Amino acid sequence: MARVKLTEYKAKQLLFNKLQIEYQGVAAVVDGKKILFSSPLSMLSSGKRYAVKVDQGVKGRMKKGLVALDVHKHDIKSIILKIAAKGFSQFVIEEIVPHEQSQEHYLSFERVREGILVRYSSKGGIHVEDAKDQVQSFVMHDSLPSSMNDALQLPEKFFKKMREFFEENYISFLEINPLVVSEKNWHILDLAIEVDSTAAFFVKNSWADRDIVGDQVKSEEEQKVKHLNDKSQAALSFTLLNPNGSIWNLLSGGGASITIADEIYNLGYGKEMGNYGEYSGNPNKEETYLYTSYVLQAMLKSKKKKLILIIGGGVANFTDIRTTFKGVVQALEEYKNDLKKRKILIYVRRGGPFQEEGLAMISAWAQKNGMYGYVSGPELPLHAIVQKAISSLRKSNS
Amino acid sequence: MLDISTLRKTNQSIIALGSHPGILQSMLDFDFLAGKSEPDLKGIVASGRKYVRLFWGDKEKRIPVYSSLDMIPNSVKTSVTLFLNLTSGRRTMSSTLEALKEFPRLKGGSLFAENMPEKHSIEIFQKLNTQQFIVGPSSVGLLIPGYLKLGAIGGTQAKQLVHAHLFERGNVAVFSSSGGMTNELINLVTGAGKRISFSLSFGGDRFPVLTPMEAFRAAEKDKSTEYIVYFGELGGYDEYDLIDLIQKKHVTKKIIAYIGGTVSAMFEIPPQFGHAKAMASRGEETAQAKTAALKKAGVSAAGSFTEFIDLVKDISSTDGPQKDHGGSAEMLGKIQSRTASWFINSVSRDKDGSVEIVGEDLLSLATKRSYGYIVGTMLLGKQLKSQETADFIDFVMKLLVDHGPYVSGAVNTMITARAGKDLVSSLVAGLLTIGPRFGGAINQAANHWIEGVTQNITPYDYVESIAKKRELISGIGHKKYRIDAPDPRVRAILAFTKNLKHSPHTDFARDIEKITTAKKGNLILNVDGAIAAVLLDLLSQKEDFTERELQDLVDSEFFNAFFILSRSVGFTAHYLDQKRSDEGLFRLSPQEVGWAE
Repeated sequence: MARVKLTEYKAKQLLFNKLQIEYQGVAAVVDGKKILFSSPLSMLSSGKRYAVKVDQGVKGRMKKGLVALDVHKHDIKSIILKIAAKGFSQFVIEEIVPHEQSQEHYLSFERVREGILVRYSSKGGIHVEDAKDQVQSFVMHDSLPSSMNDALQLPEKFFKKMREFFEENYISFLEINPLVVSEKNWHILDLAIEVDSTAAFFVKNSWADRDIVGDQVKSEEEQKVKHLNDKSQAALSFTLLNPNGSIWNLLSGGGASITIADEIYNLGYGKEMGNYGEYSGNPNKEETYLYTSYVLQAMLKSKKKKLILIIGGGVANFTDIRTTFKGVVQALEEYKNDLKKRKILIYVRRGGPFQEEGLAMISAWAQKNGMYGYVSGPELPLHAIVQKAISSLRKSNS
Repeated sequence: MLDISTLRKTNQSIIALGSHPGILQSMLDFDFLAGKSEPDLKGIVASGRKYVRLFWGDKEKRIPVYSSLDMIPNSVKTSVTLFLNLTSGRRTMSSTLEALKEFPRLKGGSLFAENMPEKHSIEIFQKLNTQQFIVGPSSVGLLIPGYLKLGAIGGTQAKQLVHAHLFERGNVAVFSSSGGMTNELINLVTGAGKRISFSLSFGGDRFPVLTPMEAFRAAEKDKSTEYIVYFGELGGYDEYDLIDLIQKKHVTKKIIAYIGGTVSAMFEIPPQFGHAKAMASRGEETAQAKTAALKKAGVSAAGSFTEFIDLVKDISSTDGPQKDHGGSAEMLGKIQSRTASWFINSVSRDKDGSVEIVGEDLLSLATKRSYGYIVGTMLLGKQLKSQETADFIDFVMKLLVDHGPYVSGAVNTMITARAGKDLVSSLVAGLLTIGPRFGGAINQAANHWIEGVTQNITPYDYVESIAKKRELISGIGHKKYRIDAPDPRVRAILAFTKNLKHSPHTDFARDIEKITTAKKGNLILNVDGAIAAVLLDLLSQKEDFTERELQDLVDSEFFNAFFILSRSVGFTAHYLDQKRSDEGLFRLSPQEVGWAE
C-alpha cells in the first residue's frame, strides 16, 4: 500500500524540527488500564489548558468527539481513558493556543504529476468543508501568487522550507488545518501527513514503519497476513469483512479479486462475504501455504452452517500455478478434518503457467476428500465460478 | 510517446536491467515462435556470471551478463532500443535514469517492480523525451503479437503464448492497470475468436509513467486497432480524462470497458481493493459513477462482468482470421522437448566422425597451419585473425621450452623420476612448482602493462606506487643480464612489434625499464615482461581485443598458459633423461641442509 498516515505526534516533531520551532506535545499510548506517556505529565504546567486528541489518523475528529479541549493537567488521564473506551489507543496532548475563529486558515500540499499542488483558504478549521468554493489552489513553482500572500500572510521562506520538507521526507499529502495566523505569529494546530510507505528505505533520520498509524483494531488473521506480507517479495493482503460470513475467498491478482468480489456483490451475496484479499507476485509454496492457512483459520471461526471456499484468479502471467497450489493443498490437508466436518465445498478457477498440473492436483485432492464443488481453468469465465459457488449455497438454503 | 506501428516496423534490441530467468526465457520463446532469426534480448545487467544460458528453441544460447551499464560494449549500447527493468523498487529509478542516459537510441522500456516510491515515478516521467515511453512501475509489460514481448505479459510458458494466438495480428487493443487482468482479457478476447493488436498494463500505482491516456492515444494512432478493451478500477480520475479525450474526438475507436469495484459501495469505510490506486475517497471515484459517466460518453461500459464478456464476443473481426505468423506446433514441440546441457564448450567437437577445432577441421588445420596458430586459436576459443600473432605464439612456444635443469620445476621432475615414479607423476611434480615465483610472471607482468595503459599513469608514478607497496614489478629484472649486457632473447621478442602501428603496452614496459635500470643495471625488461607486452599489443592491434577483454584474459591466467604448455616439453625431456641414465634415489646429506639456529 502506498499512501499511509503518520501519527500527528511524529508529523509535528518532524515539521517543527525543520522549521526550527520547539515542539512540546506529549504522546500517549493506552495499554489496557495503563497509559504510557512520551514524557512525564508532571512537566506540564497546571496554569495552562491542554487539548487531548486521538492520534490514529481519524478524519473529522472534532465532529466525532475524539478531541477534548480546555483540559486541565490533572484531568488528562481520565479523559484519555474515557475516549479510549470507544476503541482508540493512541493520543497526543498539546497546549491550547488561544485564538479567534477568524484567524483559522486552511493549507495543504499534495503530490501530483505536475509537482506539488497547494490548496489554501482563509476560512479554515472545521468549516473548511462548508466553504469549499473558497479554497484556491495552484501548483507550486518558485514564486507564490500574490493572492496567497494576502490570504495567509506567510513569509515566502516558509514555503521554500515546506517544499524541502515535502521532498526530503517523501510526503504525498500534508494538511495544516487549522493554521492560525495572528499579526505577529503563526501556529500549526492540527497537522496530518501522508507519506509514501514504499519510500521507507530512502528517508534518513525521519519517519519509519512504527510511526505509521495503524488502522482500527485488526483481527488475528489480518495481523498474521500483514506480518507475512512485510517479509515477502510477493504481495499478500487480507481483510476480514464479516467474521460470520459464508463465502470465503482465496483470490489472486488485484484486478481478478475485485471482479470476483463484484460478482458476489452483484448476485446479492455481498454481506455473506467473509473476507477480501489477494495474493500475487508469484509467492513461493511456503508463503501460499501460510496465507491459505490464515484464510482457513478465519473461515473455520465463522458461525454460519454452510460455508464455501472460492479459490479464484485470472490467467497469471508469471505466478506458477503448480507451486502456489502445492502450498494451498498443503494447508487444506492440514485442516482437512475440520473442513470435512463443516462439509465445505471448494470452487476453483485459475489459469497461468503450469495450470494443468496445478488444477489436476487440487481437483484430485478435493474429490478424494469429498469437497469438490467445481474446478476449472480459463475455459470458464472468471466470474462464472462465483455463480457456481453461490448456486450451491442457494440449494442448501432452500 | 508510444507508437505501435513504428515498433512493428523496426527490429528491437533489448537490454534487461536485473534478471528474472522465467520472464526472459519467455521473451526468447516468443521471438523464436514468431520466427525471428535471433532474440531481441541482447544482454542482461546483473551481478554474477558472465553469461546466462537460455533456450532458443531447443538449443541453448548464452546471453551476455554485464555487471554494470558501463561494462556494455559501445557497439551494443548504441543499438539498444528498449529496456526491461526487473530490479527491485529500490533500484528501479536509479537504474532507469542511467539507462536513459546510456542508450542514445532508446525508444522505451518497462518497469516491473512493485513498491517504487511515487516520487520516483514522477521523476522518471519528467526525464523522458517526447519520443520515448516507459510502462509501469509494477507493470507486466508491453505486447505486440508477432513482434514484441517486453516483460511477463501474455504468460511465461510457451504454451500460453501459442494458445492465446500471440503470433497473429488482430484489431483489439487490451489495457488494464492490473497485470493479471491484462492477461485474463487477452485470453478472453482470443478465446472468443478475436485477435490482439497490442496490449499493455499500466501498473496499479498512482502515477504510472505511461498514463492510460497515452495508451488510448497510441491505440487511436495504430491502424490495426479498431477496438479497445479496457479493465479499469475504482479510484482515481483516469476515466474522466478518457471521457475528455472522447469528447474532443482525440479518441474515436470503439471502447468496451468494465470498471471493477462496485462491491465497494457496500462499505461505509471500504477496505483497500486490489491496487494502490484503487481507493475511492470521493463519489466520482467509485466504480458506479465512472461506469455511468463512460456510458454517457458513448463507451460500451458494462455493468457486470457477464455483460462485459458479451460485449467482447460481439466485436467483429473485420479482416477475418489472420494468417499465422508463427507459433506452429513444430516450433512449440522444439521448445517442449528441450533439455539443458551439462556443459557448454566453444573449443572443439566431434563432427561427422572427425574432430573440429573452433569450427575448422583439425586435419586440415594440422596440414596447413603452424603449431602456434592451433595453440593460439584453441586458447582464445576463436580462429586467429593474423599471421603475426600465430608466428609470435609459435616463437614463444619454442623459446620457453626449457631453461636448463637448474630451475625448480626441472629439479622436482628429476627428483621424482629418480624416486622411480612414472612419466605423468614426474611431469606433474614439475608443473605443480609453477606459481608466483617460478614461471608465473608473464601473467602478472601483463597485469602491470594493462594497468599502465588503462590508468593513464606516468611510468615514474607507476614504479613509485609499486615501490611504496614494497612489491616487485613482474617482468623486470634478471640475475645475469644487465642494461649494458642485454638479453638477446628479449631483443628477438620485441622485434615482433616492428610492424605494428601502435604498441602501447610494449612502450609502457620499456618506459618502466628506463626508470628501473636507472636505479639498478640489472632491472631490465626480461623475457616474461617482454612476452606479456608484445602479446598484449598483438592481441589488441591484430586480434581486436579491447582492454577489458585483455583484463579478462589476465583474470583467467591466459598468459601463463604458454609457459606451462611449452615447459612441459622440457620437464618431459628431463624425466626421460634421468630414466636413460638410470640414476638412483636422490637424497641430501646433513651438510647440504643447514640447521636454523
